[in-house]
Amino acid sequence: MSRRALRGEYIETDTGNKVARKATLVGTQNIVLGGKTVIQAEVMIRGDLIRSIQSSSSSSGGPPNNTAVAIGRYCFLSRGACLRPPGRLYKGAFTYMPLRMGDHVFVGPASVLQAASIGSHVHIGAKVVVGEFAIIKDYVRILDGTVVPPNMVIPSFTVVAGQPARVIGEVPEGGHEAFELRDLYKTVGNNPQPAPA
Amino acid sequence: MAPLEPYTYIQCPCSDFSPLGQPADASSPTSAEEEEEEHTFDPRAPRSNFGLYPLEYLLYCEDCHQIRCPRCVAEEIVTYYCPSCLFEVPSSNLKSEGNRCTRSCFQCPICIGPLSVTSLESAPPDPNLLSPDQGGIPHTTYCLTCSYCNWSSTEIGIRFDKPNSIHAQLAKIRNGGETRLTAKERKERRKELSSHRGGGHAAAVAAAAAAAAASEEAEVVDLETQFANLKSFYNRQLADPNASENSLSTLGDLGFSSPSSLSRIMNLYTGGRLNDTRTKSRLGIMREAYTPSEGLLVANLDESDAIAKLHQTTLEDTSSMDQLMAQPPNLGEPQLHGEACFASSLRPIPYLLRTKRSKRCPVCRHIISKPEAKIQNTRFRIRLVAGSYMPSISIKRLSLPGANGSSSSLVAGDFLEPFKPVHFVLTFKNPIFEPLKVTLGTPAKTPGRFPSKVTVLCPTFDIDANTDVWDEALKDNDRESSVRNTDGSGSSSRRQRAGTVGESGQFQVEAGKVWGRGRNWVSIVVEVVPASLQLRNKDDVLKEDEDILEIPMFVRIEWEVEGGGDDDVSGQSAAGRSGAGTGEQKEKRELAYWCVLGLGRIKQ
Repeated sequence: MSRRALRGEYIETDTGNKVARKATLVGTQNIVLGGKTVIQAEVMIRGDLIRSIQSSSSSSGGPPNNTAVAIGRYCFLSRGACLRPPGRLYKGAFTYMPLRMGDHVFVGPASVLQAASIGSHVHIGAKVVVGEFAIIKDYVRILDGTVVPPNMVIPSFTVVAGQPARVIGEVPEGGHEAFELRDLYKTVGNNPQPAPA
Repeated sequence: MAPLEPYTYIQCPCSDFSPLGQPADASSPTSAEEEEEEHTFDPRAPRSNFGLYPLEYLLYCEDCHQIRCPRCVAEEIVTYYCPSCLFEVPSSNLKSEGNRCTRSCFQCPICIGPLSVTSLESAPPDPNLLSPDQGGIPHTTYCLTCSYCNWSSTEIGIRFDKPNSIHAQLAKIRNGGETRLTAKERKERRKELSSHRGGGHAAAVAAAAAAAAASEEAEVVDLETQFANLKSFYNRQLADPNASENSLSTLGDLGFSSPSSLSRIMNLYTGGRLNDTRTKSRLGIMREAYTPSEGLLVANLDESDAIAKLHQTTLEDTSSMDQLMAQPPNLGEPQLHGEACFASSLRPIPYLLRTKRSKRCPVCRHIISKPEAKIQNTRFRIRLVAGSYMPSISIKRLSLPGANGSSSSLVAGDFLEPFKPVHFVLTFKNPIFEPLKVTLGTPAKTPGRFPSKVTVLCPTFDIDANTDVWDEALKDNDRESSVRNTDGSGSSSRRQRAGTVGESGQFQVEAGKVWGRGRNWVSIVVEVVPASLQLRNKDDVLKEDEDILEIPMFVRIEWEVEGGGDDDVSGQSAAGRSGAGTGEQKEKRELAYWCVLGLGRIKQ
């Protein structure tokens, strides 16, 4: 953290993450940010919900893997979004499972995510609810106000909407570039640049 | 009304009046040209609905040098896969099992959400609900549950013994828990029945009918059984030479069911000889099914049961049209064959398979889009999208500071005031590595009942090539200075405004000058005077979306490419190459198309 950034709205890390001071990150040691990720104000990430039962493979030797939320590069969490690891009964005991997010994922304002995994190049609109253990693959667009039911799998190149979510279309071949968030990353922070024309 | 985001739709040439493959009439080239010039594209014409696409949806054929839209490309299926378990389904399975996932992927019949297999803690005490092989031994059973609407397959009396291969298990269970015969079992049972009855000879039919009817009336004949019965009955009729000794033979071959009358009718169409004696002699007269064992299913016209049931239920227990539409067809459930009135007769819906498709140009058959065959791989081997060949057009409403008191507080998608000039900035971004020359044309008044005035302030301009970002960054300093030296007004320098401050301190946009310019983009200004939406007659009504101000715009782009390489262009399209250059000479290319700019809604 540079000294200059202390006064700004965002904390900018060495790897380029821009985390708003007003964001609520619980259990920061269990949250992994890939770099160049923007976390806006009032975002909540529940890193404290770690798995209480270690899977059999990792329990034998080595330090326990406590990652609760893993976020890739160039993700954008808008104001009021909430990331919450999903939890379920596993072998008779309740445990949380990690939430994994790929690169270039946009999460709209006031959306709540409890997915098991979110791929890369995913656009999640405003006020979307993603249920527990949903799996969202790459190049998926979730329109505003969608409720993705728990355990749903959304395959690549899908547009979903509705309550409950249903597939309403396909992402066209020419629409892949629209998922890139590099330009959006530059427009926020302590010294934001204007969006290119 | 919801505010309107400005949009740009591009017309695919496939929706044009002149067919794609046919060359224009060579005898009168001048008249064709004149026609083209006079013909202004109307975005509201019914035909336009099928030809307008956002840029992302369009592909581009490099060999024909033409835009291709989702409607005109030829698609080929690369892979079939289940959207839920993401397993590939081989096409051989597809033929035998149909277009639905045969693993354990199901959708809720009530809310369409995904169903998951859940174990039921204790076995139900009622042994009738268990399948017979289990007997009364307590044993965990499974059901399908929807975590969105909390529906469970126990509501329709379906439980499973195993948590896997739900599809196969479900095929054996009827709603309510009764077992259902599979196709194989049905075949075996038929064999048993037929041997029991002594071949089902046609002569013995009349005698057997009474006995069979008595025995089979009690049992419900499901649709699969009925179909199998009917099919074997007709096969037998065709094969059986004794069928002609039927009592109906006196009526000759005039009956509906006689194959000879059918063949006579067919002969009328195919132009064959009337009264084909050969077929007549070979095929006797067929009769229709008479007993349930032959496939007769008497329609149940007594609906008093359903009415009585409806009296006792609420609206929520009945099925909606959407739910019925989502049900897979040919389920073989009698209640779904006609209409299922009750939600309890709906069944879990196996997921429809999805496909990955490659796309071909309809004219030259070259592949213009080909995804990787593997499901998990999202890359494309070939992806010729229009966005990397033609400039993108983005629209922004221009609010001039100080021009008007109200215009400074404009929001994008605000309503347009009638008769009040508004300015829009159109930004053209060049995706190719050559400089582009752009020529724009718009009608002075928009077509339709409410003509708005349109003026493009700068209809011709050049856009610089889409060079490497780093090249630009390194060259930036000397370019900026050189541009400023050559162009006194500074209109072409980076991010400089073409507008000047007028005498009264107001911003004015100058005609013939670009508004802004960057590395590979140019923005220009369009002035629009929206029309009033006053209707002339009182009886007239405003049609849907007629208040949207849409401008048809003809865009012509020209650029030069290195000659040589691909010279197999057949100049069948207007957008072919026009230069005669070969070898090292630079070759001129052009592409021309109509597009529609949706600017906003006019205030009523």
